Amino acid sequence: MNGLSPGMHLVLVLATPLVGAVVAWLLGARGRDAVRQSAAVTALLTLAAAGWLVVRYLASPEAAAGEPYAVVTLPWLVDGIFDVRLSLGLDGLSIWLFGLSALLSLTAVLVSWGAIQERPVGFYVLLLVLEAAMLGVFAARDVILFYVFFEFTLVPLFFLIGIWGHDERRKAAVTFFIYTLSGSVLTFLGLLTIVLWNASHTGTVTFDIDGLTAGLAAHPLPMNAQGGWLQWIVFVALFAGFAIKVPIVPFHTWLPLAHVEAPTGGSVDLAGILLKLGIYGFLRFSLPMLPDASAAAAPWIFGLGVAGIVYGALVALVQTDLKRLVAYSSVSHMGYCVMGLFALEPVAVEGATLQLVNHGLSSAGLFALVGMIYERFHTRNIASLGGVASRAPWLAALFMLFTFSSIGLPGLNGFVGEFMILAGSFQRAWSGVSEACRPAYLTLALLAVAGVVLGAWYMLWAVERVLFGPSREPPTGGSAHAHHEADEHGHHGAAGGATDDLAWHELAALVPLAVFVFWIGLVPATFLEPAAGPLRGIMQPSARAFAERMLEPDRGPAPGKIVAIP
Amino acid sequence: MQDISPATLLVLVPLLPLVGAVLTLLLGRVLGGRAHLPAIAGIAGAAAVAVVLLLGTANQVGGAHGPHAEPVRPVEMISTIWQWATVADAYSPPAGSPAAIPGTAVGGGAGGTARAFTIPVALRLDPLTATMLTIITCIGLVVAVYSIGYMHHDPGYPRFFAVFSLFVFSMSMLVSASNFLVVYVFWEAVGACSYLLIGFWFTKPEAARAAKKAFLVNRIGDFGLAIATFLLWMTYGTLDFHDTLSPDGTILPGILGQTRLADAAGIVGGALGTAICLCLLLAACGKSAQLPLHVWLPDAMEGPTPASALIHAATMVTAGIYLVARCAPLFMACPGALVAVSLVGATTALVAGLIATVQNDLKRVLAYSTISQLGYMFASLGTGTLLGFSAAIFHLVTHAFFKALLFLGAGSVMHSMGNVIDMRRFGGLRRIMPVTAATFLVGSLALAGIAPFSGFFSKDEILASLHAKGWPNAHGEHHDAAPSAHASLWNAGFVATPAAARGAAAEAVHVLEPLDRPATWQALFWMSLFTAGLTAFYTFRAVFMTFTGPTRVPEEAGHHAHESPPVMAGPLVILAVPAAVAGWWLFRTQWLAHFLSATPSFAAPAVAATATPHAFHMDLALQGSLAAAIGVVIAAIGHLGRRSDGPQMERFLGPLEPFFANRCYIDQLYSALVVRPLEGLALLAALFDRAVIDGLVNAVARLPVALGGVVRRLQSGLLQRYALAGVMGVLAIVLVLAWRLRG
Repeated sequence: MNGLSPGMHLVLVLATPLVGAVVAWLLGARGRDAVRQSAAVTALLTLAAAGWLVVRYLASPEAAAGEPYAVVTLPWLVDGIFDVRLSLGLDGLSIWLFGLSALLSLTAVLVSWGAIQERPVGFYVLLLVLEAAMLGVFAARDVILFYVFFEFTLVPLFFLIGIWGHDERRKAAVTFFIYTLSGSVLTFLGLLTIVLWNASHTGTVTFDIDGLTAGLAAHPLPMNAQGGWLQWIVFVALFAGFAIKVPIVPFHTWLPLAHVEAPTGGSVDLAGILLKLGIYGFLRFSLPMLPDASAAAAPWIFGLGVAGIVYGALVALVQTDLKRLVAYSSVSHMGYCVMGLFALEPVAVEGATLQLVNHGLSSAGLFALVGMIYERFHTRNIASLGGVASRAPWLAALFMLFTFSSIGLPGLNGFVGEFMILAGSFQRAWSGVSEACRPAYLTLALLAVAGVVLGAWYMLWAVERVLFGPSREPPTGGSAHAHHEADEHGHHGAAGGATDDLAWHELAALVPLAVFVFWIGLVPATFLEPAAGPLRGIMQPSARAFAERMLEPDRGPAPGKIVAIP
Repeated sequence: MQDISPATLLVLVPLLPLVGAVLTLLLGRVLGGRAHLPAIAGIAGAAAVAVVLLLGTANQVGGAHGPHAEPVRPVEMISTIWQWATVADAYSPPAGSPAAIPGTAVGGGAGGTARAFTIPVALRLDPLTATMLTIITCIGLVVAVYSIGYMHHDPGYPRFFAVFSLFVFSMSMLVSASNFLVVYVFWEAVGACSYLLIGFWFTKPEAARAAKKAFLVNRIGDFGLAIATFLLWMTYGTLDFHDTLSPDGTILPGILGQTRLADAAGIVGGALGTAICLCLLLAACGKSAQLPLHVWLPDAMEGPTPASALIHAATMVTAGIYLVARCAPLFMACPGALVAVSLVGATTALVAGLIATVQNDLKRVLAYSTISQLGYMFASLGTGTLLGFSAAIFHLVTHAFFKALLFLGAGSVMHSMGNVIDMRRFGGLRRIMPVTAATFLVGSLALAGIAPFSGFFSKDEILASLHAKGWPNAHGEHHDAAPSAHASLWNAGFVATPAAARGAAAEAVHVLEPLDRPATWQALFWMSLFTAGLTAFYTFRAVFMTFTGPTRVPEEAGHHAHESPPVMAGPLVILAVPAAVAGWWLFRTQWLAHFLSATPSFAAPAVAATATPHAFHMDLALQGSLAAAIGVVIAAIGHLGRRSDGPQMERFLGPLEPFFANRCYIDQLYSALVVRPLEGLALLAALFDRAVIDGLVNAVARLPVALGGVVRRLQSGLLQRYALAGVMGVLAIVLVLAWRLRG
């Protein structure tokens, strides 16, 4: 198979879930088993193909040189001033998110195994379409494909929440859709302005991301009154869409609602992948194309990131619904990514980029486990749960693992990103800002470190209440199903615990995530190195603009370095 | 073993327990009642290797009996296992980077480069590490063997040994790591093992709560360690302890490397240095249960007793001592921070000693006693003399033996009393369990500091180190060259510190540094001496209540009240030997002090210059013994031969008794000052989230409705219409923009 060119390989990966969706649809008549099995096989095949592509990428000379890999370009309209091409490809920045999308799609299929009883055909078809869209958005190298895939993640999820969600699914789906759509319409406007600005200065209409970045570097959007503050306007337009996607506080209220109502598979994809699109958008567009506005906004967004960390953690602390608690923990953890990104320091930015993958693993794992707990006990109310560890020890062990990953326990993945974000932010605060900004920056950095304590607090509180304590039957009341199950199993408690423990498909959904939790924690260099090169190119303009802004008034004080060993 | 390099051996110490832990975890179900085999084999292997390394290192240090005045050459070996992470340099080019302003070389590196973030997982071997490794693995082995008997029949048998083994791995890594970030990693890892063991019986709500509490209080300490790590990185441009050779052949000095330590100006003092040291102290307070972060340790007694013995008495809680000792050169540059260490230590020793006197739960007496003894070690560390540092480690070693012994003894009692541990409910047990009683007595004599048991000698050295600071002339010593040497650094460090940090840190310096005068040290000495008396009192109160008086057993014990089986009694006897004689031997030969002085951190000129000739101070020994004797006598008057359910401490303390019995209300204070306000804030935030933010969003969403008929047609509720409207709006704006741009 060495003959398979990387580009074709990439197209194959993107096509597999779509073909699988068609197959699942055709198998619809044969019942749920056939559909879910075909979906699992499709997700598995896609994962294998995507994983193999990742391995090929890592071994390729392009990876070493930090260049795009597996580039496929399809001329669409190349005529006169028009140079419109559809372009796919991967680089060090997108490669892990691409792989993560394939991995979590399999997880999403497997966690839905028993949970989705009704209309399975539609469910699995949408899940596979969503997978194709997620893979596509990270492989897109031009604005058109990016935006199409970006929006196309929205539609399947809208129906997944609206049809297979819980009690308030309609409200959640509509809120989710309107909220993110209104943001992304503004993003679309901003992107178009960029394209037109570039066209009016270079004389070529191109949608190619690299071409636009180069064009805007040569002819930056104006950042003054004469130019109508156009760079600011475009930045705000892009920010609207990306900030809602992340979500950055205070644009987060759609998230808990969507998560709580979404079926488990939808939550896994939503938390694991879709939240990353916001940060990914900042990295692909805002920071490299609008460096002056990014630099000017950086302190404020940095502050919003910290606010999100603390605010999300505080709100999580008083949640009574386990899934809502995990949703707010996502708000808090995405705050770390925002903070790290806008610290504009290499250590923090690389940490933030890794944290995208980390959060994808830990939050997907936690949402999957919350779903499994719900299937067993028919409640997500923390007060009604308890003693899960005695009844489902493996479930509890994995819950603890992902909790530890989420609260940044060293040796696991979460620590690496969190620590690098905090270290880089601290470095920025210590010696990378003007004397006037320093107190604010230091305070924010300290607050973020304190957020680590809060993060442990709400997660361990939930663990204590849900997993530990005496085994108990939640007051399920109307749920006859639960009683039926209890009768079926005959006995509960420590002795009969295994009956409630993980089934094969649940283990298969979680164990791969757990492997990466350890892998990233122990050898983060594997995951950090590919991204370093592309990130350098992406971040340099903004970092330089930031340094210039900060040092303009005065050349700044001597930074915090003191010691000179001869 | 000659063919194996020391570097390989060093890796084996943590590796073998790790393999043991993984095997236990994987094969636990299969092995069942023999699940201890992989764990014990791993720990035993590690212990053997650790002893080999200890002897090898001692060989390198050489001549334990040579004249003490002769300077000792620092001994260390570094072995890098893998690169954890590397992030090269700053995005902004040197010209625009504030880190590259001319005249500022970051962290001693070449001028113009930012701080590279290079984290090697490197292990080190030096006398301090070798000592710690030996203690951890040897006591770990004894406690593991004991656990075979104690944990017998527990459904979580394999889980216990897996986590136990994992702890030995983490702790070994912690003391052999040669990089602050790696220290941080295992600092939290031992905390996680502790969490898992405290919550071992997770169906008990108290155990689950205690585990969570331990983790969270420790996280506050970890917060300090994280800040200290960041500050160290900012200050020195590296996180390595050791010097490294850069590719171009220049030496990159590590924070505690020999290059930097040899240079009087190498370590930062002043406000910045003090801030770093105080953050390290906060971390140490968390892990070593010092005021005000001690509250987790008594609750940690909910865990299985062998875990209490190894983790919450002998090893993990000494990590704070290790950290401060390892960073001795950093503290030496900050007299204010040193005073703070002693103040925290002596105060904790006293308060915990007082609380221990009113506890009726045998394990809690021992827990508070552990806090108190750790306080002694901190008091000694804070003297900032070679004597103080080595006395602290000396006490750490003897304490590890006798406190592990006492905990295992308490476990033996608990095992036989049907898990009852309230001393008022049993008594006179020496007739039922003679081996436990005899070994417990040996441990108690050592803890109380009765000559010639081991605690006497180490405690005597601690008192001597405090005494030397309080009455410098009496010891004919004057090593006060340090303050003048710090003067210039103080300014340098001060100027370079960001203003925001400068304020708070300078404040701390102004408060703390004036305290470094003989009167303070005299007060600390008297506090410690009084605590010595308290220690003897509460220890023997426990001994008398448990083992003397009429024989009584609680009904929970049924007819099973008996001496523990050999697999448990054996370890008691084994530990009793060093608890009895180790102090005497180490004191007479000064083997440990000499050995430790070759640790790079202690061989640094700043520390080595404070060395004093070894001497035995008869007057101090008499004072210490007198205090201990008084304590024992009072305990005997109160409890010897009496029923243990009689009147308790209220006879001595009167109205103060409830104050101490309620642990000085510190838990309540935390609840009122930290937990409740934060919970209130969280409720407020949740309310704000729902009412204000969500409300605003909904208001914005309703705006079109308010506009009424104009857009009524769009309010059809059909998603397609919304989408279409969006796209059309976009197109309109695009057209306008395009037109403007063309024009």
